[in-house]
Amino acid sequence: MSETNLKAPPKILILATSSCGYTGADATGQAHLSYPPNTYIIDVPSPCVFPENFYYRCLERGIDGIIVMSCGVECPFEGAYERLAAKLDRVSLGLKKRGIKQGRLKLCSVCTVCTKAFLKEVNEMNDLLIKEQEESS
Amino acid sequence: MSTIPSETDALVIGGGIAGLQAALDLAEQGYQVAVVERQPSIGGAMIRLSKVFPTLDCASCITTPKMAAAAHHDNITLLTYTEVDSLTRQNGGFTARLTKKPRFVKEDLCIGCRLCEYACTSSMEDEFQGGYSGLRAIHIPFSNAIPQVALVDENACTLCGQCISSCPTDAIDLEQKPQTLEIQAKTVIVATGWKLTPIDAKPQYRGDSIANVISPLQMERLLAPHGPYGRVLRPADGKVPDSIAYVQCAGSRDATLGVPYCSRVCCMYAIKQAMLLSGAVPLADITIYYMDIRTFGKGFEEFYQNAKAMGIEFIKGKVARITENPDRSVKLRFEHIDGFGQVEERQHDLVVLSLGMLPGDNPGRMLPIETGNDGFVMLPHAKDAPCNTGVEGVFVAGTATGPKDIVDSIVEAGAAATEAAIYMKQTGITSNKSESRVL
Amino acid sequence: MTDLEDTQPKPENKKDEPRVGVYVCHCGGNISDVVDVEKVVAEAAQLPGVAVSRTNMFMCSDPGQKMIQEDIQKGLVDNFVVAACTRSLHETTFASLLARNGVNPYLLEQANIREQCSWPHHGQEAATAKAFTLVRAAVAKARRLVPLNPVRVEATNCALVIGGGVAGLRAAGDLSKLGIKVVLVEREKELGGFVRRLDALYPDEEPATALLSRLVEAVRTDSGIVVHTNSEVTGIEGYIGNFTAQVRKNSDSKAGEIRIEAGTIIVATGFRSYQPAKKELGYQKLSRVVTLADFNELLVASAGDSAVLEFEGKPVRSVGFVHCVGSRQIEGVHKPGENGNINRYCSRVCCTATLHTACRLRRRFPDMEIHDFYQDIRTYGRGHEDYYEQASKSDVIFHRYRAESPPRVAKAPAADEYNLLITVEDSLTAGEEIEVGVDILVLAVGMMPADNATIIDNLKLASSSDGFLQEVHPKLRPVEMAVNGVLLAGACQAPKDITESCASASAAAIKAAAILRKGYVELDPYVVKVDLARCEGTGLCVEECPLDGALHMVGEGNERHVEVNPAICNGCGCCVAVCPTRALQVSGWTLDQYEAMVDAIVADPVEVSS
Ligand SMILES: Cc1cc2nc3c(=O)[nH]c(=O)nc-3n(C[C@H](O)[C@H](O)[C@H](O)COP(=O)(O)OP(=O)(O)OC[C@H]3O[C@@H](n4cnc5c(N)ncnc54)[C@H](O)[C@@H]3O)c2cc1C
Ligand SMILES: Cc1cc2nc3c(=O)[nH]c(=O)nc-3n(C[C@H](O)[C@H](O)[C@H](O)COP(=O)(O)OP(=O)(O)OC[C@H]3O[C@@H](n4cnc5c(N)ncnc54)[C@H](O)[C@@H]3O)c2cc1C
Ligand code: SF4
Ligand code: SF4
Ligand code: SF4
Ligand code: SF4
Repeated sequence: MSETNLKAPPKILILATSSCGYTGADATGQAHLSYPPNTYIIDVPSPCVFPENFYYRCLERGIDGIIVMSCGVECPFEGAYERLAAKLDRVSLGLKKRGIKQGRLKLCSVCTVCTKAFLKEVNEMNDLLIKEQEESS
Repeated sequence: MSTIPSETDALVIGGGIAGLQAALDLAEQGYQVAVVERQPSIGGAMIRLSKVFPTLDCASCITTPKMAAAAHHDNITLLTYTEVDSLTRQNGGFTARLTKKPRFVKEDLCIGCRLCEYACTSSMEDEFQGGYSGLRAIHIPFSNAIPQVALVDENACTLCGQCISSCPTDAIDLEQKPQTLEIQAKTVIVATGWKLTPIDAKPQYRGDSIANVISPLQMERLLAPHGPYGRVLRPADGKVPDSIAYVQCAGSRDATLGVPYCSRVCCMYAIKQAMLLSGAVPLADITIYYMDIRTFGKGFEEFYQNAKAMGIEFIKGKVARITENPDRSVKLRFEHIDGFGQVEERQHDLVVLSLGMLPGDNPGRMLPIETGNDGFVMLPHAKDAPCNTGVEGVFVAGTATGPKDIVDSIVEAGAAATEAAIYMKQTGITSNKSESRVL
Repeated sequence: MTDLEDTQPKPENKKDEPRVGVYVCHCGGNISDVVDVEKVVAEAAQLPGVAVSRTNMFMCSDPGQKMIQEDIQKGLVDNFVVAACTRSLHETTFASLLARNGVNPYLLEQANIREQCSWPHHGQEAATAKAFTLVRAAVAKARRLVPLNPVRVEATNCALVIGGGVAGLRAAGDLSKLGIKVVLVEREKELGGFVRRLDALYPDEEPATALLSRLVEAVRTDSGIVVHTNSEVTGIEGYIGNFTAQVRKNSDSKAGEIRIEAGTIIVATGFRSYQPAKKELGYQKLSRVVTLADFNELLVASAGDSAVLEFEGKPVRSVGFVHCVGSRQIEGVHKPGENGNINRYCSRVCCTATLHTACRLRRRFPDMEIHDFYQDIRTYGRGHEDYYEQASKSDVIFHRYRAESPPRVAKAPAADEYNLLITVEDSLTAGEEIEVGVDILVLAVGMMPADNATIIDNLKLASSSDGFLQEVHPKLRPVEMAVNGVLLAGACQAPKDITESCASASAAAIKAAAILRKGYVELDPYVVKVDLARCEGTGLCVEECPLDGALHMVGEGNERHVEVNPAICNGCGCCVAVCPTRALQVSGWTLDQYEAMVDAIVADPVEVSS
């Protein structure tokens, strides 16, 4: 995390699946519902593609929190969701070992019209990171 | 917006899930397809549902991609907000006369930004949300409508003109007139769908006068993730219901209403809604009054047994009468068949009538096809030709031939597309029958 | 409007690097009212790799598209970033614009600055900063885009239909009429499947022989269809477009193995009837307990004008029907079958089939006593309820039992009027235990999945928990299997009546035709690609891949490496994540691209004032 500029809001990376999470984020925008702008959504067909070190790398480079918005069990890629969930469990343990708050990585499912779920996840992560920033300052 | 062709291979009437699937299957064969939909958006009934049985996946999430696939397909033209006036046979094909109803918004200019909605000064009931929330007089029909083009509701519009100046593309034209079109087609697929039994069909149920007696489509909206309240509340007074009842076969299997048939989906949608309700209002008791539970499809019986295990109560009993209590709760009077056949009364906060399916339209008025006593399209060889109307070149899919669920509608849509494709091939080539090689 | 062409020389631009064009949309105020579009354009022009940066009021409009077209024609831009609305709305618009102008349509990246920026965010400064960050990330990806082409798989113009019941027959006939060659393999000597055992059929009373001769005729006289009866599929391998099946012909005269090449496979192996356990409801212990199909045959055999039905030399005065035998089974009440499972599902056709038979029985024998033991009457289909109605009106006596206490069957004492004594707790008479005498008890046995072991093992097909074959999506894609190119028709997917079996067969036919029509199949290019220079042959990826056959190892020693079958890979990327050397990438969505996007996002602090 950037230590020089404590005022800078945390950067939240959202890896959102094309068939669910990304469309859910669009629906939130279409409804003109507001959420913090320090959120950067990347469209990902299947987040299973990311190796564990991708997540560590993101956090090292300056991303403060990562939300993986998947389709959950409705994942269109056979067998991928189970692998993704298992992988993120391992990364979560890895974060703990590295002394990084596990809450900075979150896996959730957001469907194409789940605007409320989308807002909840984004706001929760934002609040958590801001609190952490305040604690560390 | 693609331009409207004057000629096409197949004309599909109805842009519900059946019509869209039939169009997609034909388009994948390289045929040109025009889909005529009378509503401002494609998607039919399915796009209004909350979650779908028996998988409980989100209806929007699985309908939107199909709608988008049809909208983006090079071989498919969508004609929304368009009525079929007549279809006549001509030179071995059909000539369709269509009326494009005025949206008062130019489809090719509108970019779906909704700035007009924010400027609009007049509001109306949002039918998509079961009438539970409002819309502006100019509006995009609903959040995932396709096309994302605004329209003005003539009855609600006060002609104040506020929207006109707010529109960044000058798309609004309050003077727009209906437009008549003519399209030649080689074959026609009827996919005109269903409509719900009116809520007041059975006077004993007082569906029109008791506020807490609602239709299952209203419940679908209450349960939808993007529904009107975002949670389940009693429409009469906003109370969170403690006890909810379903009255099965309300309007079906009832000769007195002229609907002797079973509507086939209401057992399953009631159980589905009951399951969703036990998530949304976990403390509520849910009771389903039924004659027979008809969970016959793949995974359906398992779904039913799970619902029982979750504590949803199933009472075999025919509801005779429904009345309102002074506290706005609802009293059901029913014959308890499993309980000595006695007549009993029970109170519930909210009652859903499991209404049935009636034909969505009478396609017989535009085409020389026959409908049965039940009003649905007749099939002379239902068993081995379940989509063939018997009229050359006219095929039918989905609930236009009788109540059925989404998956059965989709299967039939594929079958109708096959029949239409074969018909087009055969009218183009002479049959080349010869002896088979039986090995 | 801002128009920036190569405003500054960028020393970091290498000669062979793609030049990126950035096109930012105002969306008639939808974006520009919140985002300072001109600022974004100016900043984007400074980014490494960016050759031009422009805006338009509506990028999707004709003038907007022309702007891009001109840059293509002038040869200014190789790869494209459109910053506008969300991808799902206009991706096809811009991709086809590129294609029309001879540019590979995959050289396009979009930055979603409307749905995910100007609409949900309000402060101009913050929204503008975010919009620029999104553009910067998109540029980072665009610089790493390479042209892609759909995966093209040659396909044999032939469909293999396994099973010659009504579903297989209908599918074969349709396919041939659609111009696809068909090979139909049927295990039995005769075509027709279970329907051969039936007589008049619901819902229109047509004789089964009439229906079957129509379907069989159509297949037998079609020169495009080769029929192998008495034959069995003993092995299948391959993938979409290229399957090979071994078929053993069992007829004495022409026994032997043949090989069939096919582009798709339609499985139409139907069902087998539930075989009641020994002594279940007296079956096999008491000769007067028969299945519905047996009883139908008895009715046919006793055809004629005789006013009495005879069985074992005695007149039959009372007949009972029991529903749900072998279906709707309950844990703890019903014993698991050979497969170790109980049949929890409903067999769908047996209620109507039973009442249909009861009505026919009533018509022929107006004085016969008819009892019906049921749980729920499921006459759901068009015309089905009429049989229930008819039966109720013509004195068929209904007794409702609960799954937990099925009727009990015993031989009646010799002095009794009837041969069998049925004891049941009838919930229609308040759960009282009653005794009913019948001469024949007819069991409406349910449907079980056919034995598909060979096909399932060879093609790695999935079955549902009920044992029937599992479609890829239970709502939207009911006739396709997860294994590309394998389709389902009829009762092998779930219990179905003839109408439903034929509908699914026709639906499967058009899916097969879509695959085979052109002689090749075009699949999305988003599949995994191997960089052979990096592959060290660990094979970790093969273990991780959820799809059988998508990856396999070839070569020995130093030469050992992975090979991808793009016809099977669905691009899930599970393998990418485990490759230690990054030898695998999903085309169009590579890890390098993602990392570059992340780096662009963190590049400098976000300027936000909330
Ligand atoms: C309360 C409820 C809940 C349900 N839940 C589920 C569920 O969970 N799972 C499930 O599988 N099924 C469910 N169903 C059933 C499901 O809605 C239908 O199976 C499905 O909608 C059928 O699609 P269709 O295309 O045949 O008809 P429709 O969806 O009715 O589409 C027909 C289309 O044709 C248009 N049209 C009609 N006439 C004309 C004309 N003359 N010109 C132009 N256009 C015309 C209509 O506007 C409509 O858009 C439910 C039904 C109800 C009532
Ligand atoms: C008692 C009863 C009465 C019924 N009455 C009616 C009625 O009146 N009306 C109605 O609409 N429906 C009725 N049905 C339902 C009807 O029988 C089914 O809908 C129909 O048989 C399903 O057809 P199918 O082709 O899918 O399967 P099947 O009829 O089972 O045919 C499958 C074929 O595949 C063959 N096969 C299986 N495995 C292989 C293999 N590995 N290799 C090669 N060949 C193989 C089998 O030999 C068989 O010929 C009734 C069902 C029952 C049980
Ligand atoms: S009519 Fe105009 S203001 Fe309304 S949505 Fe369309 S483009 Fe926007
Ligand atoms: S599906 Fe169920 S509720 Fe609907 S008509 Fe049939 S039996 Fe009645
Ligand atoms: S169709 Fe009827 S008899 Fe058959 S399993 Fe279902 S409920 Fe039982
Ligand atoms: S991308 Fe998925 S399907 Fe393709 S080879 Fe890798 S793991 Fe297998």
